[in-house]
Amino acid sequence: MTDDSHQRFAAAVLPHLGAAYNLARWLVRDAHDAQDVVQDAMLRALRHFDGFRGGDPRPWLLAIVRNAAFAWLGARRPGEIQLAEHELDAALAEAMDGAPSDPEALAIGRADRRQIDAAIAALPIVFRETIVLRELEELPYRDIARITDVPIGTVMSRLSRARSLLARTLRPEVAGNPT
Amino acid sequence: MNDDDLWIDAALDDELDAAASLAFQRRLENEPALKGAWDERRALRGALRARATYHPVPTGLAARLSEVLGVSTAVAATPDGGGARMDPGAGADADVDVDVDADVDADVDRSADAGVDFTWRANGDKIDVGSAAHDGGGMSQGDRRQRRRPGAGARSRFAAGGAWRPWMHGAIGAVAASLATLLVVDPAALRPGVAGGSAGLRAVSAAESAEAAEAVSAHTRALLVDHPIEVASSDQHTVRPWLSARLNFVPPVVDLAPQGYALLGARRDVLSGETSAALVYRHGAHVISVFVRPAPAGRPAGSDTPLVIRGFNVIQRTQGGMAFCLVSDLNPRELAALADLLAPPGGR
Repeated sequence: MTDDSHQRFAAAVLPHLGAAYNLARWLVRDAHDAQDVVQDAMLRALRHFDGFRGGDPRPWLLAIVRNAAFAWLGARRPGEIQLAEHELDAALAEAMDGAPSDPEALAIGRADRRQIDAAIAALPIVFRETIVLRELEELPYRDIARITDVPIGTVMSRLSRARSLLARTLRPEVAGNPT
Repeated sequence: MNDDDLWIDAALDDELDAAASLAFQRRLENEPALKGAWDERRALRGALRARATYHPVPTGLAARLSEVLGVSTAVAATPDGGGARMDPGAGADADVDVDVDADVDADVDRSADAGVDFTWRANGDKIDVGSAAHDGGGMSQGDRRQRRRPGAGARSRFAAGGAWRPWMHGAIGAVAASLATLLVVDPAALRPGVAGGSAGLRAVSAAESAEAAEAVSAHTRALLVDHPIEVASSDQHTVRPWLSARLNFVPPVVDLAPQGYALLGARRDVLSGETSAALVYRHGAHVISVFVRPAPAGRPAGSDTPLVIRGFNVIQRTQGGMAFCLVSDLNPRELAALADLLAPPGGR
């Protein structure tokens, strides 16, 4: 790789180190492991930078980070990424009980940082990555679909499910609705 | 997941086009249950964005990367300190890093990378790392937040997306307009059990009718957020390789413009938990999604009974080892004509 392409890499990709680390950290849920994943991803990104055809480098980099995180988990904690979507559906069916009432919406709005982080961390990984990319990175569906390599329709259904699960977790305990 | 959730989430995510957005506002005013669900989703969104942790880059990672990658990482973190969501500790990271110009320019300076400043060099004279990054956008929470505000509506934002939208231009733009009209005129058609009811449901297998309902949801989703097409082309020699590169089967792709069914392009979608090709055709002002995937084992040749699900007509057919599922608001007769062209009954 030439000095010139090193410079272009530095200019295009490195500004997104913060996003790369945040995604890796949420996916592997460990600060030390996340640094390894980011380093691995950055090396891959540098290696494949010639294949980057311009546009927004953030989704391009995040796709590499996401793949690196899944590869890392696949080698060390395969159970975390082997959840089939239909199994997730079963868990979700429970989350869909009852329409929320106003007080519930208020309580969700008041959830503190610890509760919110714990609720996100507890999501199955495909829901977690979708919610992090949407709510923390604020990416549009189109970019999330590219990063997670699924159709946009799947992004939509995963987001919807992730939110239902989060709402259920953060909803206060009320009669007939154990949390 | 029901279609109301689709509406709520797409509206929340600023992915509805203007017409659909208007229709949604009207529904909110008239449907308290929908309003309740909307309020909860908005409260959740507000809590997540205000208080979920955005993990700051740990001290030392940037320096370690600069060593490993052989490039400067001086621009690697959010330059403006990260805003409200960063932990206070994040600021400390800013003390450690390398000098942009010196390091990228000549490797000799890397030995000195311990303890150099983290200045945001927007005006570096040798390389425009800073300014280039600014132009590229997405540098900081603040920048991002600004770019995402309603001013940049879904439509304009997506229009800038290039390849995703070429179908918007020229004559085909009319279809987009008609979709918007559809959403305004008849939002009820998207609500479960309102427009179509079960009148068309006859003796079809449970699996087939479940799949038909999924296909209607997939079709609705694609139209709702206005991106029914991932690869836009009327050229089957463009669409087919695009699909076969992304699927583990090769769907038949044919443009039927001479017969009145113009191929607009295709996307991937998921039916019954499996990735399916979705070919998109236009007939008059109607958009048709044709889902194609290898026929599941034991699937009968297809009842061919047209179903009506939530106002959409659905035709399922198995032919040549492929399961076809056509969904559209097009009338059943003309939809069946397309099915006959794609998968002739008794053919092969």
